[in-house]
Amino acid sequence: MTDKFHAEMAEMQKRVLEMGFFAEGMLRDAVEALMTQDVALAGDVKGRKGALSSQNDLLEEEVYRMIALYQPVARDMRAVACALKVIASAERIGRYGKDIANVVIATTDARANDLASGLSIPHMAGLVLSMIDDSLRAYETGDLQYIRHHSERDDVVDALRHTIFREGITYMMEEPRTITRCMNYLMVARYLERCADHSCKIAEKVHYMVTGERIEIK
Amino acid sequence: MTTQSIICTQGLTLYYGETRALKDITMRVSDRNVTALIGPSGCGKSTLIRCFNRMNDLVDACRIEGSVDLHGKDIYGNGTDPVEIRRRIGMVFQKPNPFPKSIYENVAYGPRVHGITDRARLDRIVEESLRKAALWDEVKERLSHPAMSLSGGQQQRLCIARTLAVEPEVILMDEPCSALDPIATAKIEALIGELKRQYCVIIVTHNMQQASRVSDCCGFMYLGEMIEFGETAQIFESPEKELTENYITGRFG
Repeated sequence: MTDKFHAEMAEMQKRVLEMGFFAEGMLRDAVEALMTQDVALAGDVKGRKGALSSQNDLLEEEVYRMIALYQPVARDMRAVACALKVIASAERIGRYGKDIANVVIATTDARANDLASGLSIPHMAGLVLSMIDDSLRAYETGDLQYIRHHSERDDVVDALRHTIFREGITYMMEEPRTITRCMNYLMVARYLERCADHSCKIAEKVHYMVTGERIEIK
Repeated sequence: MTTQSIICTQGLTLYYGETRALKDITMRVSDRNVTALIGPSGCGKSTLIRCFNRMNDLVDACRIEGSVDLHGKDIYGNGTDPVEIRRRIGMVFQKPNPFPKSIYENVAYGPRVHGITDRARLDRIVEESLRKAALWDEVKERLSHPAMSLSGGQQQRLCIARTLAVEPEVILMDEPCSALDPIATAKIEALIGELKRQYCVIIVTHNMQQASRVSDCCGFMYLGEMIEFGETAQIFESPEKELTENYITGRFG
């Protein structure tokens, strides 16, 4: 393959990474808005959805263009395939950020931050965000050390979702007026768990890109 | 790969005078399969396939060590007839090279040399060979026309028909499409796909996309060595050797 291809590929990887961090930022700010009940910040996250979609569309188009023009093979093919999967996962992560922002907007209440913090949501969000960050770092550098413990980290996140579920039920039984809010927070926990799954998907694809071996991170 | 091996080399080393052109090549080529050899110019691909039908015998100062077995029998062994080997292992070259004769005579030439004189039988062989080479429908009305009146792609298929006429077991192709346009190339590639139902095809190509499109197994050669030999899909998805990866992704060569 030509230097032209490799130059374009490097440029595309940079943009894929930017999109990944953009999506991670949406999720981070949505969680922040939830914790601080910051409706303005939630609105801002919601407003980024269009930019996220257009980045996805442009990069997807770019991937197809690269395949059509260069028919890459081996590590070049794996890099192009990886880019396509990373943007798909990044888009999902960003959209879950938007979904959490919607929860903030729908349930805003000064007393709510106590409830969200009372559940293990901040802890869970911190773990998920660091998993996403490490997946993207691995994509950026090709260093698989970043994703070495993704499977175990994902198990912790899954366990936390169950914890939050039980915590939520306790709150709801104690105080039925919290039911709507708690149900929304259980959804937030579900979104966060899905985001961790997407970070595992990114990790799998990065592993494939670097080694040629397909693995499944459970 | 479930098919049987037809050609096996063991420690095959070839010298042109003092120069070692092939280094210790051990490989198995499967029957009813397309095997492609890729690698930069001068890496020994053509030299290797020329070993398979003893074409290198014609080169002075060429010396061979190791063995090349066809169905378990060393083709360089005592008492092996090179002419018989070249009948069983046919070859198609880079540039179409029909004889300056009619289309019919080009195909009938080999069987005639091997002693077939019966006209009806020759007619049958010519038709069958041209059909197998996917050329019959295009030339059946003008078999007596000069072969040189055909297009480049047709001439190449005629050369394939000429090879098939002597009922070979293996067909060697040394860059069979490099002098052809994309449409003629596509026809030859489709033909290769058909031929592998009955024959073992070994193709040398500079075009890596062609290797990935037509072959089942692929060998990457560099400086006379077989660096990697394996299933084509695996070589083009995740080759084992760094050198292979660097070559097929265009980082050198």
